Amino acid sequence: MSYFNQTLDLTGRWLALSTIIFIAAFFGVRPVLAEEPMAVEQKAEEPAFTRVTSSYKVPDVAMLRQDGKKVSFLKELDDGRPVILTFVFVSCSAICPMLTHIMSKVQTKLDKDNQKAHLMSVSIDPESDTPAKLLEYAKKHGAGPDWDFYTGTREASLALQKAFNTYRGDKMNHTSVILMRSKPGQPWLRVEGFLSPDAVIEEYGTLSRK
Amino acid sequence: MFATEENRPIALLDSRAAKNVTRAHTPYTNESLAKAIREGVNVSGKPMSPLMPHYALSDDEIKAVTAYLQQLSAEVSPGVGKDTLRFATIVTPGVDSKKSEVMVNMMRTAFTQRNASQESYSGRMRSPLDLIPKTLRNWELTVWELQDAPKTWGKQLTEKYQSEPVFAVVSGISNTTWAPVHSFCEQEKLPCLFPSVALPPAETGYYQLYYSRGVALEAEVLAKSLRNQDKTAPRRLVQIYKDDEVSRGAAKALTDALQGSEIKLENRVLGEKAATDLKAALKDISSKDAVMLWLRPNDLTAVNKAAPKQVPAVAYLSGFLAAEDYSFVSKAWKPNVRVIYPYELGIKRQKNEITMKDWLKTWRLPLVDEAFQSEVFFNVMFLTELSSQMLDNLFRDHMIERAEDMLSLGSNVSAYPYLSLSRGQRFASKGAFIARFAADGKLIADSEWLVP
Repeated sequence: MSYFNQTLDLTGRWLALSTIIFIAAFFGVRPVLAEEPMAVEQKAEEPAFTRVTSSYKVPDVAMLRQDGKKVSFLKELDDGRPVILTFVFVSCSAICPMLTHIMSKVQTKLDKDNQKAHLMSVSIDPESDTPAKLLEYAKKHGAGPDWDFYTGTREASLALQKAFNTYRGDKMNHTSVILMRSKPGQPWLRVEGFLSPDAVIEEYGTLSRK
Repeated sequence: MFATEENRPIALLDSRAAKNVTRAHTPYTNESLAKAIREGVNVSGKPMSPLMPHYALSDDEIKAVTAYLQQLSAEVSPGVGKDTLRFATIVTPGVDSKKSEVMVNMMRTAFTQRNASQESYSGRMRSPLDLIPKTLRNWELTVWELQDAPKTWGKQLTEKYQSEPVFAVVSGISNTTWAPVHSFCEQEKLPCLFPSVALPPAETGYYQLYYSRGVALEAEVLAKSLRNQDKTAPRRLVQIYKDDEVSRGAAKALTDALQGSEIKLENRVLGEKAATDLKAALKDISSKDAVMLWLRPNDLTAVNKAAPKQVPAVAYLSGFLAAEDYSFVSKAWKPNVRVIYPYELGIKRQKNEITMKDWLKTWRLPLVDEAFQSEVFFNVMFLTELSSQMLDNLFRDHMIERAEDMLSLGSNVSAYPYLSLSRGQRFASKGAFIARFAADGKLIADSEWLVP
């Protein structure tokens, strides 16, 4: 996505093209950069995302959950459950709908397999995303009891984005990152790029078996 | 440096070259558009640039894309001439002429500077505005001065707009209502970028962007602060305001925001004789009560004369209405005064505004009202950035979309701590501080940045 954004900057962000990218991102379609059929096949063999294992030092900031309760983010994170973490915002029309769509698919899959994990989505537009707005967003995307949304001060959200290396200078430069961890103390698996729900579920599976 | 395709660079360094992509071609039909999106084949049957991704969209998804594209502007918006791009700014009756004059002078100066910078390639930078990439059209500014009662403004605006169409309204000032301007601009699909108004209409439009919700935001910030104080909050809060649209709006917003709280809110409306009425309004205020003074400097000066010997527990002031004039605050009142302050404070504020202050000095323009002038200055800077991104795509809906994306990206030269928009967001700054006077008389934060 960042590659396209860069190109769009240089070409004056041609409206139709950006619209198409937005729609494609919205429907979670994986775009293929290719001219000839050969190139399509070559590209398709490469994974469209990167995966790395990392440790992050997370600051203990106070955040507001979608139910309006003020909570310690670190306590929420370290409650013992496996965690799947994304950074999104309610009015985002680029990469967040895709991330949230993936979270919703992952939630369905985990429920079906009777597995427990804590799905956590942190707002990167916290001044606009009040707990009430997050609750509405959660309902809209069918979030169940194990999927929470967090907002707080701009500083607190920035601190978390920086801690997980997802801060890209502005919410409009936001990239597609999903972080997951099997339990407190374990390193994080970070997947980044054009993700599909199935790929994320598969990655999560490798994590849980460890 | 870049990958090439048939000797053409795939990535373009020169943003002007983007014009190449808007050249005329046979119009797309639903079918040819679907083919372009899915297969990367253009309307003449030729493969498109490799930069155009292929998307395996279903028929329904193609329909959604097409429906979105069809509601976008197909023709260049009004106000765009062959060599000119016309903007308006709006002055409503009853505003301080010093403020309206400095607003117009700042805008004219910035426009002149921007137009001159297009012609000059001397390489000498005269201001930060010079650094911004040039677009071809000359900017023109027209000032729409409204007269008489607000109910006649719509008709006046229609006449002015018909005789001289503009692409967008930039800044503007009102002490009273802004609703007729808002309705007119929304009806004409005319972007109206960040006017300086104390109370924008509650109902948002698509084309109307504001710095904040004004005094309504302040009311909600105060309510939040009082709720945070919980048991230490004053039991009775008396709000004193004049019978005008802005003040009534502020008082109503506070009433709504305190619904269901334990604080007893009383309303006292001042009539024509503000000084006499103020005395009556403050008469029974004790040191256990809080007062909220939704008043401007003219009326605040009467507070000292009317002030009871007993100082209220807290006297809240509106940062927007007080306009940085706290000269009425007596020694006795000072420790108890709190300002609901929608702007940045201290060193960060100075940092934000240093560019504007230097610019004003360079162009020998007076500093009349810092926060207000920083709104105007931010606006012209932002307009320059917007236009450098829009190039020749002079469509108003495109302008709003770009504004939503770009507002938080540039340097913040305004008095606000942080300005940001997004899809559907129409108010750029979303909170305020509660501030008090430090020993040196300067305002300092007495709360964190409160976002209701």
